Amino acid sequence: MQIAVSGGKGGTGKSTVAINLAVELARRFKLVLADLDVEAPNDHLLLGVELAGEEPVNQFMPKFDYSKCTKCRKCAEVCEEHAIITLKDGTPFLMPNLCSGCRACEIVCPVPGAILEAFRVIGHTYVTETPYGFTLVTGKLREGEERSMPLVVEAKKRARNLDYELLMVDTAAGTGNTVSKAIEGSKLLIAVTEPTPLGIHDTELILQLGKLMGLKTWVVVNRADLGDVGKVREIAEKYGAEVVAEIPYSENIVRSYVSGRPIVLEDVPEAKIFRELAERVAGFLGGGE
Amino acid sequence: MQVAIASGKGGVGKSTITASLLYFLKDRYKLIAVDADAEAPNLGLLLGVEEWEEEREHIGAKVAKINTETCVRCGICYERCPYESIYIDEDGNYIVNELTCEGCNVCGLVCPVPGTITLEQARSGVIRKATTKYGFPIISAQLDVGRPESGKLVTEEKEWAKKLMDELNLEHMIVDSAAGIGCQVIASIGGADLTILIAEPTPASLSDVQRAYKVVQHFRQPAYLIINKADLNPGFTALREWAEAEGIPVIGEVPYDRAIPKSMAMLKPVVEAFPDSPASKALKEIAERIAEEILG
Ligand code: SF4
Ligand code: SF4
Ligand code: SF4
Ligand code: SF4
Repeated sequence: MQIAVSGGKGGTGKSTVAINLAVELARRFKLVLADLDVEAPNDHLLLGVELAGEEPVNQFMPKFDYSKCTKCRKCAEVCEEHAIITLKDGTPFLMPNLCSGCRACEIVCPVPGAILEAFRVIGHTYVTETPYGFTLVTGKLREGEERSMPLVVEAKKRARNLDYELLMVDTAAGTGNTVSKAIEGSKLLIAVTEPTPLGIHDTELILQLGKLMGLKTWVVVNRADLGDVGKVREIAEKYGAEVVAEIPYSENIVRSYVSGRPIVLEDVPEAKIFRELAERVAGFLGGGE
Repeated sequence: MQVAIASGKGGVGKSTITASLLYFLKDRYKLIAVDADAEAPNLGLLLGVEEWEEEREHIGAKVAKINTETCVRCGICYERCPYESIYIDEDGNYIVNELTCEGCNVCGLVCPVPGTITLEQARSGVIRKATTKYGFPIISAQLDVGRPESGKLVTEEKEWAKKLMDELNLEHMIVDSAAGIGCQVIASIGGADLTILIAEPTPASLSDVQRAYKVVQHFRQPAYLIINKADLNPGFTALREWAEAEGIPVIGEVPYDRAIPKSMAMLKPVVEAFPDSPASKALKEIAERIAEEILG
């Protein structure tokens, strides 16, 4: 079973919702939380844990054996990323940063052995046991690498290979295709939003994505007292989604964010909101609508 | 000059600070603003843009399509797609998931039935232009839902902006970059003369800005730092220590101020909505320092 926590824009408190839900849901399910915000993974910081179990993500890139290459340029023509440039006489050269590792060049090269397998490390995945009874999987793109899709795919794979009843994915901000890749396969999408005009604008996009993917979608309104929750409800309704929780702006949450200790563990009113939300999620998953 | 503003992560106040700096700098310089956060653009909204004067579709992304009539259901495409973007529907048809396809055409190359898989052009989003009520132009983009992360969209935005700079004789381009460190950010920072980083004193923001700084270093650019919500977390000194150790000048600190979220709800730069608030005063000072020490 899989559920996803996402939000149209950055800084809405998506990770806060994800980690607190994870802590709470780990009491009921054997749980894995996958931090698939590979450009800015933060769940481990919010949980106050050090990343462990590092594994490099190696990505294919072509290496040319110039003694065999006939300079036919086919590899360069087929590369959708324009990662291969050719000299006037047809000699191919790779610009590693642009290469997505798709192997299209290898497939079309007519000369066996002209393209050799080389790899480069584009990032890492981590598997960390948290003290809260669940496992955290983290994907981290290497600085200077442009493409986050392969890392999202790898981190998700690593998470899926673990033993769990419930996989929870925390996605990047935005609504691009790496977010859809992270969300893919979820039974429920929890969209975290703010009731500000900017937040509402971005919420509409994530709801659109949820609808396109045919997902049951819930909306959690963070910093609910900073704006008009009614507007969020309107938008949610338009997309057949439901507002299921409102979290007020709270110094307690800010403090927990900073100190790396989930707020559900504290004896404060905000903790109750997350506990109730977790209960609702558990009810939904157990009963299966 | 081209100045990029980046933070590595969303929600640390990058757009509101950018809008405020633009508000002050517009009086001294002829500027153009570029909102390079194509997945969640909001600088235009913050600068009161209600209507776009010109809109250009960006046809850049490609998606694969499978003709189920000629497909022999051999499953080779399904096995070879590097991003697992092909699925089998209830009727056993092989279908491309357009929301995750990267358009690499590997499926098309391995399919044994010629013409069954075609790579088609798809719209990846729009790029638009407006003149803000403050007089300077802004270029913004909006990526379509489920399209590949588009550095190309940002590159095209900047090209349009450069043309306008020539036509209108403008001096500086201020680029509000996307969150993260991927292709949109690389496209935002690449080609800039310098980058202003924005971070708040939290472990998460520090980790993200460190990653953004590595991208800046990659381009061998100078970097500056603005600390937002500077008084939020007095015990946390690691951000300042890091900046000092890296030799990144801190050009200012903005205190935590409820005026900022309030101004955002009003869709105005805080310095316009609440000019006497502590945040606005700090931002004014920062704008002056940027004018003196950076833009000249
Ligand atoms: S692996 Fe793909 S992206 Fe890389 S060079 Fe070959 S065709 Fe281009
Ligand atoms: S396709 Fe193969 S033989 Fe042709 S230029 Fe590329 S590497 Fe050389
Ligand atoms: S174009 Fe590439 S990503 Fe898209 S379905 Fe084909 S193999 Fe997969
Ligand atoms: S490779 Fe071609 S024939 Fe085989 S399943 Fe895919 S589309 Fe059908």
